[in-house]
Amino acid sequence: MKSHKQILKNSSDVIQTDGKIDRRAFFRKTGAISAIAAASVVAPSVLQASQDDPNIMHHPQWGQIWGDPVSENLYGLPSAYEHNNTRRYTKLLASGNYRAAIAVTPIHESEGIITPNGLFFSRSHGGTAHIDPNKWRLMINGLVEKPIVLTLEQLKRYPRVTRTHFIECPANGGQEWRRPQYNSLQFAKGFMSCAEWTGVYIKTILKDLGLKPTAKWMLAEGSDNSEMGRSVPVEKVLDDAMLVWGQNGEALRPEQGYPVRLLLPGWEGNLCVKWVKRLEFSDEPWYAKEETSKYTALKPNGKAVQHFYANEVNSTVVIPSPEKPWTSIKEGDEVEIEGLAWSGMGTITRVDLSFDGGNNYVKANLKGLILPKCWTRWSYMYTIPKGFKNKDGKQIILTSRAMDDAGFVQPSVDQEIFGYGVAKEDYGKDKDKGMGVESVYHRNAIESWEVSENGEVNHVQIRTI
Amino acid sequence: MFKLELYKTLAATLLATTMLTGIAQAQESDTAAYNGLWNAKKDISGGVHYPFKDGKTGPYVLNPQVYEDSDISKGKDGLKKGFNNGRLATSNELQAWDKDIRPDGIGLPEGSGYVDEGEALYEAKCMSCHGDFGSGGGGYPALAAGKAKEIKRMLKNNRWLNPTAEGPTRVIGSYWPYASTLFWYIRDAMPHPKSKVLSNDETYSLVAYMLYINNMKVKGEIVNETFKLDREKFLQIEMPNKNGFIPYIDGSDGIENIRTFFQNAQNFGGIRLAKGEEPCMQNCQQTDNIVRLNGGITDFEPAMSVERNLPQKVEAVSFDPKAAYDNNCAMCHETGVAPPAGNKVKWTPYLKKGLAAVLQSAINGTENGMPPKGGSSLSDDEFKQVVEFMVK
Ligand code: HEC
Ligand code: HEC
Repeated sequence: MKSHKQILKNSSDVIQTDGKIDRRAFFRKTGAISAIAAASVVAPSVLQASQDDPNIMHHPQWGQIWGDPVSENLYGLPSAYEHNNTRRYTKLLASGNYRAAIAVTPIHESEGIITPNGLFFSRSHGGTAHIDPNKWRLMINGLVEKPIVLTLEQLKRYPRVTRTHFIECPANGGQEWRRPQYNSLQFAKGFMSCAEWTGVYIKTILKDLGLKPTAKWMLAEGSDNSEMGRSVPVEKVLDDAMLVWGQNGEALRPEQGYPVRLLLPGWEGNLCVKWVKRLEFSDEPWYAKEETSKYTALKPNGKAVQHFYANEVNSTVVIPSPEKPWTSIKEGDEVEIEGLAWSGMGTITRVDLSFDGGNNYVKANLKGLILPKCWTRWSYMYTIPKGFKNKDGKQIILTSRAMDDAGFVQPSVDQEIFGYGVAKEDYGKDKDKGMGVESVYHRNAIESWEVSENGEVNHVQIRTI
Repeated sequence: MFKLELYKTLAATLLATTMLTGIAQAQESDTAAYNGLWNAKKDISGGVHYPFKDGKTGPYVLNPQVYEDSDISKGKDGLKKGFNNGRLATSNELQAWDKDIRPDGIGLPEGSGYVDEGEALYEAKCMSCHGDFGSGGGGYPALAAGKAKEIKRMLKNNRWLNPTAEGPTRVIGSYWPYASTLFWYIRDAMPHPKSKVLSNDETYSLVAYMLYINNMKVKGEIVNETFKLDREKFLQIEMPNKNGFIPYIDGSDGIENIRTFFQNAQNFGGIRLAKGEEPCMQNCQQTDNIVRLNGGITDFEPAMSVERNLPQKVEAVSFDPKAAYDNNCAMCHETGVAPPAGNKVKWTPYLKKGLAAVLQSAINGTENGMPPKGGSSLSDDEFKQVVEFMVK
């Protein structure tokens, strides 16, 4: 593939020539140069109040010389200036050689409700498999009248459907049950992404096969080296479960299971088996590796929720966030606070916003498309107070709280841990109430950003313990 | 003030309209709407079920030639047409791929293996990652942590009242409900660098070794070095934490148990408002205690940045085999599992076959725990330089 390098080379030339010209012109005009002014030449995005902006007064190179011919970049790449907008990973969330690991989505840079394919979070249990689509086969067997095998071309003959859904790893936020750990939106909430998927409802295929009435469970198995398997109730399969091959208008990326993955709208990402090769129907559930010590939620009474399906209602403030602070914003500025809300249990109906970490709320506004089991954008217009302080003199703590059409509302940190409606004096007394702090999975409590006096944004939690 | 209010009203109307057009087919369409589908049929996970009805599901329009107006809850699958794609699977194909193993023994093959055989296999093929006696570390899961029954008790060690107390330990012996998973997973997914290479007998011996390092018993019999595991004994294994899971998913009531479990939001830390109930808007919390980051986790790759600049040009630095060795190979080659760099004595037996053969063998990976190219993404040339550095 040509030519990230090519572009980089060219565009760095641009900067060099550009910078030189600018600086010379600048000297001529002002006659003197202070350290701050010199810095402003290097950081061209700052507009100086008192002088003409060199970026306007001089032709940039891109405005004078040829750009690339159309024969360049036949598969387009982002601008070289966007190189920091990438997935990221950390050792903490990886096996020694990064094959059973996760790379997470920079949601602080997300626009709208679609995650570009190259930024969609990537989680695997044995590395990203690279499958030859001509050799890929799907087998459907077990409690069906007619067990079949299909090629990719044959699978794609079924009438297709296109749906926009998020996929979320159930461990999203799961390192922060006991305290905040990441001063980062990307790592605190980026184990999820949202895309438009194209494929076929599995029920459409089953029409051919004749599902036997005794079938209660489906095993989905991947063809990667870990042969990731999960048990799914047939009820979900006959509802909205899909086999998908299209992602945002093109083939799935290898990281998302090319050529075909299972999509169970709203349900945990681990259940949406990638590189899928086999569906088997049975009367009893399986006990696959991801249904034992992983992907089960341990409660304070020592029992674990074994099958935990839907990702519950959730939300976060995106702008500002630790990565996108308010350091260049000042008192009196009119700003938009923007965020995301999502629920695997239905459609987002409302988001409230708090400036004191979840004690008092105002209603925020939903905007754009509002779809079931899909990222939903919300927004609130706000005038920046002095020193980023509330009226009581305390720093602003931004917290959002979403609701869905099933009637679920995000819990506070305490409520999720100790149970809803439990008085503080009774925390920890009833071990059957609350999720405790050892679950690892399915954490959907409200998330808080504290804004410091200089506009920095830091991740905090409001909690009794 | 007035402007803001107006804006809000507009947004609210917009929302209400979307809701109405979007999900009007649900049983209940309450315009106030934040929990407007409260009475709608729930799916098994406790979420809203969007039926296929009136040519739509949720906000999505359906092709009426394919889908009927129907409802799977009433046993109507909603499909008009059948198709005839693919072909019948042959019995050999089914045998090749249908290899899952269930707790009731369906799929468990005949065969047998001894603990001591398992131990030898483990040391050759598994220990480089999972450590001595399954101790884990370095991002690789522990496979044992002492006496399974005692470790199991730690599952109640919830740090909700004391964040610095000792937490639970989740390993095979203390946590897994059934041994079938162990056989199935080891045979089809391990060793991690190249799976599906173990025979059924080898897998029996490795499972036996797993029981051994977890200090388990099978039907009262202590699993010691001379213990032999076969199909019959395997089916008698009772995992200590068999009853540690909710809801109970097995048997004819399994599905309904799950449905009932997820109907109650308290079971999974959720809050479901009563119909029409407003969420708390004022004085909602019982605490204003702020827990801030305490250093936190910051080793992000690549380092966090939101700058819009050009990537720094990486100078064409000459390749450093020592650094590459430290990053990619030392985790095994300096920890006693494999010959360390510069140790002539340890390398001599390997080099008998000639350097070219050693290199080839390391590129392909070996049966005894050397992953292909050490699991690294070094180029052939770089890898060769590292190997030359090691055997020097
Ligand atoms: C190259 C490193 C490597 C080698 C060699 C290896 N494993 Fe693993 N093993 C892993 C990783 C990584 C995981 C976790 C996979 C995941 O997260 O899905 C794992 C998981 C497991 C688990 C599941 C543990 C749990 O509690 O979830 C078992 C059991 C296991 N390995 C057994 C074995 C056996 C037996 C062998 C030797 C035949 C072996 N492994 C060889 C890396 C390795
Ligand atoms: C997961 C552990 C592991 C890692 C990582 C690893 N090795 Fe090895 N390596 C082994 C083991 C174990 C052996 C001994 C294998 C045997 O005896 O067949 C070995 C053997 C070798 C051999 C001798 C092969 C032969 O059959 O003659 C070479 C050469 C070698 N490794 C190079 C490397 C290099 C270079 C790297 C890093 C780029 C690396 N290894 C990383 C475990 C590892």
